[in-house]
Amino acid sequence: MEPFEDDRLVAALESLRPEPRPAFAAELDERAAGGFPRRGGSPLRRLTDRFRAFEPRRALVPAGATALAAVAAATVVISLSETSEERGNLSLNSSGAGSAGAGKQQASPARSGRLNFDGAGRYSKGSNNLYDADAPVAGLAQNSSSAASAAAEAVPQIRAFSRPIERSSGYLTRLRAHREIERSAQLVLGTEPDRVRKAASEVFETVHAYRGIVLDSSVRDGAEGAAGARFALMVPSARLGDAMADFSAIGEVRTRREATADITAPTVRTGELLRDSRATIEGLLTQLAAADTDAERAATEAKLRAERNRAANLRSQLSGLKRRANLSRVQLRIESGAPMTSSEGSGTWGVGDALGDAGRILAIAAGVSIVGLAVLGPIVLVALLIWLANRARVRRARQRALA
Amino acid sequence: MDATLVAPAKEAPREGDLAFDRLYKSSRDDVYAYVASLVRDAAAAEDVTATAFERAYRKRSRFDPSRGEPRAWLFGIARNAALDELRRRGRQAELTAEPADLAAVPAHESAEESERRLAVSTALAGLDPGERELIALKFFAGLSNAEIAIVVGIGASNAGTRLHRAMTKLREACDGAV
Repeated sequence: MEPFEDDRLVAALESLRPEPRPAFAAELDERAAGGFPRRGGSPLRRLTDRFRAFEPRRALVPAGATALAAVAAATVVISLSETSEERGNLSLNSSGAGSAGAGKQQASPARSGRLNFDGAGRYSKGSNNLYDADAPVAGLAQNSSSAASAAAEAVPQIRAFSRPIERSSGYLTRLRAHREIERSAQLVLGTEPDRVRKAASEVFETVHAYRGIVLDSSVRDGAEGAAGARFALMVPSARLGDAMADFSAIGEVRTRREATADITAPTVRTGELLRDSRATIEGLLTQLAAADTDAERAATEAKLRAERNRAANLRSQLSGLKRRANLSRVQLRIESGAPMTSSEGSGTWGVGDALGDAGRILAIAAGVSIVGLAVLGPIVLVALLIWLANRARVRRARQRALA
Repeated sequence: MDATLVAPAKEAPREGDLAFDRLYKSSRDDVYAYVASLVRDAAAAEDVTATAFERAYRKRSRFDPSRGEPRAWLFGIARNAALDELRRRGRQAELTAEPADLAAVPAHESAEESERRLAVSTALAGLDPGERELIALKFFAGLSNAEIAIVVGIGASNAGTRLHRAMTKLREACDGAV
């Protein structure tokens, strides 16, 4: 036999090429024509095949749409829950201008439907206890701003809100008995320009009638829109409800907002610190009486001075807190002319409100996205690492199989 | 050879199927020959060939023309399927099927040709599996060096060098047999 030249070697190699059986070729052609239908096999095998045929790029759009829908749904749910929480917080933001032609609001509770707010933090209409504004949760604040007519409309709502609270009134009463509540209120009244000065004097009279304090006041005359008055008042918290009702009777209520803040915790803490400080002073005095040397006496006196200073500070803080609980701050404004059109407190929903709502929704959506990423990120990362490790393992196994 | 297996859906929805059909028809026997040389079992080669085309068909939308010719892509899938079969066999049991009778003598062949075929077949069996695979890809499947490089996952020049080395080794083995 002659030596192997290249062309002969190639020819010999090509002659060794395996050829498929005609029956197999025909069967495969048939399957190709049918779009390679899946052959029988175990469900796991079919699942694996499907997984291998999975195309990540195609899944991007549905995955993105799903994620977007999830973020939108979560945003809606959170927004709705926030809204219901706000309602649950018993917030009465039904502020608004009085109805045209309503004119001056009358003092009669029956006509004005006003909400009385007694010293125990209890709202009432007339003699009916409707609503405990003194919520037992520390730090809870309620805002109630209303035109008298709007407040009247809100009464059924308040009844509805108050029912579950009233059921647990025993518990609430026990808690309320020990709570220190700071209250504040804002009131905007409307009147004719020539009545501004008279209305201002009625404000002074009302403040004095309730033994309140006028911290600051300014009254200006002028044309419609220019004439007006401003007051910064302190009213005993126990009589804030009645005082607000009388203030509301002075003119047309355009905005009314009341807020409460629970300051029980700082009050109690300061009281305890003061008691401790007094006990320390007692101890130091005993120590001073028993001191034998001048140096010992001097050291004890120095400690006593420092502790007395501390006790004085605590007393001051405590009395400040009690003053905040006993006296409510009231900002009262008298306007003349048409009600101001600012969306804040006017009851109308304006561009500012829209921007605020949009910002809030965006913030919620961003929060949901961040939480989602925080949850999904590690999962995706672990899955990616597992996939990469498996891929490397399979590649190595295939090389070993060839060898 | 068509550079794409999937046409944009708006233009011609079935163009991708037509392109795959052309690829199938031009590659069916080549894929079988390559797979048979790897698994060395006719029945397993048929199964692996069918599996390879099935996988390729399912993944046809993932073919990226920028990464090589469709034939190279198809042979890459066939290679993985064949190696998976070898792995499965290695896990389950030793090879029990008979190796393909590569040196079966055609009726019209002369004695010298038969002897030459036998010598080449024996020399081929003595090569390393990697070298045998390169020769199968080149002479059984008819791939270019660039396509072989893509299938095996090495550089084109490296593929040429290794193929040349395998051929030299094969020739020396054949000459030794003569």
